[in-house]
Amino acid sequence: MNKYDGKWERQINELLDGELGETDAEELKSAASDDRELARNIVEAFQLKQLMDGLHVERAPASLRKRLRSIPREQRSAPGLRWLQPRWVAALAAVPLVLIAVSLMQPKTPSAEEVATARQELAIAFSYIDKAGQFTRREIELTVGQTMADAVTGSVNRTIKFQNVISREKKV
Amino acid sequence: MKHSIMNKLITGLFFTLLSLTAIAQEDELKDLPGYVDFGDLSSMYGEPKVIINLGGTMLNFVGLMSKAQSPETSALISKLKGVRVQIYTIEENADAAKGQFTKVKGKLKSSGWEPIVQVNEDDEQVLIYIKMKGDNMEGLTVMVVDEEEAVFVNVIGQLNPAELGRVMEALDVDMDLGLD
Repeated sequence: MNKYDGKWERQINELLDGELGETDAEELKSAASDDRELARNIVEAFQLKQLMDGLHVERAPASLRKRLRSIPREQRSAPGLRWLQPRWVAALAAVPLVLIAVSLMQPKTPSAEEVATARQELAIAFSYIDKAGQFTRREIELTVGQTMADAVTGSVNRTIKFQNVISREKKV
Repeated sequence: MKHSIMNKLITGLFFTLLSLTAIAQEDELKDLPGYVDFGDLSSMYGEPKVIINLGGTMLNFVGLMSKAQSPETSALISKLKGVRVQIYTIEENADAAKGQFTKVKGKLKSSGWEPIVQVNEDDEQVLIYIKMKGDNMEGLTVMVVDEEEAVFVNVIGQLNPAELGRVMEALDVDMDLGLD
């Protein structure tokens, strides 16, 4: 979010709590599609919530568990029906989506096409580094001349050296 | 009261699914010492014409696939942890790009990066910075702003510039980037 404000933060919290209205959800969705930082914050908040939900619950002492078990069944509030409450139904329905999200975060084996694209992107990156080097060399030669270039000390000299190597290699 | 909780959950997860892949690539690199935050110039120049975010996993695969053809290329790539490129087209006004250039330069200086090359011409500025830890390079940053484009390149990991030429040949680089 370039101009992150309390409004988005509140809406993200409401979204995670299941309390965000549909209009606001649409607005947030629209804003997130144009704003990487906002999208990132939503993801991070979601991940945090997942972590919080997954926190280890300390097992109660055996004596307490025994005493709890001894509470007459009729005093408990119909435990089986809890699973039918809308909140649980929604949460259970979301499980497959969560699994998909988690699986997307795992390192996957890229396809040959993806690797070829990455290879091309790497080549582009190296080309721009080379471009900067060539420009630098040209400027140095214009300024101090080829013969003087070798006399230039410090970091510039190091650059000239590696650019000379590159030029020689390209001629081979 | 919470009749639409399912929709909201799905909406939230939809965002998650859309954003995870792109963000994961960037986040994978953010904590590395050779990472540089170039900021965002899209409000001034629109979306970058080139965005590249290659993380260690993808680079490993590129290196592996290059091994048979060029072990040297594979060895060079295996030392890289990430490669990032942002290139903006500058229509007329390069002031914002030059301002960002200065800002990033300040950040690099204050975080232990060493300047290797600085060229300050009216129509073209070039900066090459490296970050070293002992004898090992942690990152290389190249920034170029001319009248046509602003280029930000960040290589995370070790890169031997002397090997760059050979590797570019092995990668079959044949592209006109307006070098002349």
